[in-house]
Amino acid sequence: MPGDYLEIANSATLWFAAAICVGIVFIQAILFSRAALRYGKAMGLTDKQLKIAFRSGVISSIGPSVAILVGMIALIAAMGGPIAWMRLSFIGSVMYELMAAEFGANAMGASLSKGMNAIAYANAVWSMTLGAMGWLLFTGLFTDKLELVRLKLAGGREELIPIISAGAMLGAFGRLVADNVLKLDERAIAVIFGGVAMGLILNFADKKNIQWLREWSLGISMFVGMIAATLVYAARR
Amino acid sequence: MTDKEKHYNEFISYVVRWGRLTNLLAFVLSFGPALLLLTVFGLKPPTSAIIAGAVSIISAVGAFWIVEPISYYPVLGIPGTYMAFLAGNISNLRLPCAAVSQKAVGVEPGTEKGAIIATLGIAASVIVNTTILTFGVIVGATIFNALPEIARMTLQTYLVPAIFGAVFVQFARTNLRLGAIALALAFPLSFLLNKGFFAFLPGIPTYAVIILTVFGTIYIGRMLYEREAQKKT
Repeated sequence: MPGDYLEIANSATLWFAAAICVGIVFIQAILFSRAALRYGKAMGLTDKQLKIAFRSGVISSIGPSVAILVGMIALIAAMGGPIAWMRLSFIGSVMYELMAAEFGANAMGASLSKGMNAIAYANAVWSMTLGAMGWLLFTGLFTDKLELVRLKLAGGREELIPIISAGAMLGAFGRLVADNVLKLDERAIAVIFGGVAMGLILNFADKKNIQWLREWSLGISMFVGMIAATLVYAARR
Repeated sequence: MTDKEKHYNEFISYVVRWGRLTNLLAFVLSFGPALLLLTVFGLKPPTSAIIAGAVSIISAVGAFWIVEPISYYPVLGIPGTYMAFLAGNISNLRLPCAAVSQKAVGVEPGTEKGAIIATLGIAASVIVNTTILTFGVIVGATIFNALPEIARMTLQTYLVPAIFGAVFVQFARTNLRLGAIALALAFPLSFLLNKGFFAFLPGIPTYAVIILTVFGTIYIGRMLYEREAQKKT
């Protein structure tokens, strides 16, 4: 039964583990903002300025947060509530998490969209964890030395960094696209329509310079792809 | 040293002390779910599969572990870097929040006041974001489980591939040539994988295709870049 692993994935034990991780994110934010208020005042920032800073943060995070919420549906469907909640409040983004989970499932011969079982799910959790550990380790150890690292790197081959970054991302997602297209079923339709929708939305948003549309581009295109695939599925039955 | 600098230095040393502690603690705690699945539920994937999955994802994002903190740090500041990499969703959420707060107050990024303001903007976004996601996951998980079987099947099967297509296009738009190279590598390699061409490798050899596509795209992209740079000089 494909649904079985979701019972484990949505168990109280996992909610508990996820809650601890979300808790630490929350605690850090409170510690840092209290310190920023205290020292900010000492440094001559007014109450009003500090209030504006916090309020702008609140206002500008509502839109993207709701957009993330839409992407979270895919993660809830594939990996259960606790992992979706923990991974998106903590370290990751929808894009990274789905890629990591899919690679983990692939290593057990499964895929998020087909053939998931408890072991493939556990392996996906391992991939998500191990793939993200470097960000926490690197920032935990070296954040206070970043200025030095930057200066050192500037003397090296800084101009290659965008090529390495874009190459790694496109290589990884190119493989995920090819894999799903080569399945030659409705999943190919989902990939193609999702991609075309994204291209059209972003072109339109760039032309008219609409920021909120950029934030919603992933949320909209994933539903376009899903609906197109569902229609083909329904037509073929 | 002026009074302002003294207060700023105190602020930064407080932030480094707690930031280091919380991020390293989070590193340990992030293994919680995987270890609970192992101990409480007895779900132990073969070591080879854990390694294959890890190698795949690390080949795709490992470079970002170092590149991202270095490149975002000028906007985020030291406190913002700890918070943003602990909480994730950096380019779509934390960076805009830091920038908007600094603009609204009228302070420059990279200055001492700028760092204080960015801290507040990012902290606010962390608090709002975790709150919305917490309500969202409870409501979302409940709704998902109440959906009819066919709707759940559709969401489970088609949403993820649609996202893969969309994200690929999002990156490829600004880098058409690298996108084309990635697909030109990924399609034949994935085809060969499906035909069992990589069966001589240990385990389920998806990782081989991922590594070849990722590093192949980087390598060819770099080669083309260097050839063009040579032509120009």
